Amino acid sequence: MSEERDKVKELVARARAGEVDAFEALYRAHQGGIYTFLRGQVRDAEVAADLTQDTFVRAWESLARLREAGAFRGWLYQIARNLVLDEAKSGRVRLEVPASVVSSEENPSVLERATEGDGPEERLASAELKEEVWRALESLPAAQREAVVMHHVEGMGTAEIAKVMGVRPGTVMSRLARAREALREKLGGYVEVSDE
Amino acid sequence: MSKCDLIRDRLSEYAVGGLRGRMRARVEAHVGECAGCRAELKALERTGALLDSLETQDAPEGTWEAVRERVLARPRERARVRPRWAWAMSTVALVVVVAVAAVVMVPRPVERPVVVAAAAADEEMQMTMDDHLSTVWAAPLSDMAAVGLRMAALEENG
Ligand SMILES: [Zn+2]
Repeated sequence: MSEERDKVKELVARARAGEVDAFEALYRAHQGGIYTFLRGQVRDAEVAADLTQDTFVRAWESLARLREAGAFRGWLYQIARNLVLDEAKSGRVRLEVPASVVSSEENPSVLERATEGDGPEERLASAELKEEVWRALESLPAAQREAVVMHHVEGMGTAEIAKVMGVRPGTVMSRLARAREALREKLGGYVEVSDE
Repeated sequence: MSKCDLIRDRLSEYAVGGLRGRMRARVEAHVGECAGCRAELKALERTGALLDSLETQDAPEGTWEAVRERVLARPRERARVRPRWAWAMSTVALVVVVAVAAVVMVPRPVERPVVVAAAAADEEMQMTMDDHLSTVWAAPLSDMAAVGLRMAALEENG
């Protein structure tokens, strides 16, 4: 259990002491998750890349304030999340998009094809389908979207997500449930099981 | 509202591992005997599997180099940035808070149990969170929400 955590703690301690190489290791371990999270929130690759930079620069600057080295990941997501909220406040990004803009009903090609022929494993592996799932995700409210990405893509538990979002674990759970229900609707025929 | 409607209302909560106790048992029993609700649950579970199959995407090339450049060019926050007078001020503030609290609480001892109950609830909440956290670290690849709840339920029962 603790090997990974000890490694992070050690890297955080070294980065705190000013070792840029240790901070680079932390960057390598977390950049994908942070970039994916930001991209899911702002829905713009360039803005997400800028904010990824800002997240890590801010983390480096305020590493002294991280009280528990083992909580590094959640703390990093909190920084990224605050940057997104600042961007939204200043009007540079919009977190909520009218449903019509991202409606997957306008382009159901992959979903329709997926229901014919292929077995479930092939369908799950389809890169095109994953693209479609991301698009479906984009139409969710921002609070559900971030919970889904942290939980399903980054593999964070509800307690850790709750800390990042500043809500109770039960609230995270109900956001995950509402998101699951909405996505199940959007993915329609693809996730329905006919063999019974 | 039919029985199926009632169950379907809670099915997504059940699918993410958010139901406990009697409600959870009710959903399980119904799904066991109703093919329609069972199929709906499967659809929700497949949606979850699809979400689990999504992968993180790397930040663009050159992002680290840019971070490194900015990091090396900037001064850094220190663990201790507060000047001494700030500590002195916070001591004064603490004395004021304690004095006010004493004045407020002495004539109204009835409020104390409420405070104690709130503290106990906080502690319980913290324990649940700690449970969740240790589960997360122990099994980073499993469905953490479900496992966390199951562990909590096990502890409760045994
Ligand atoms: Zn039913």
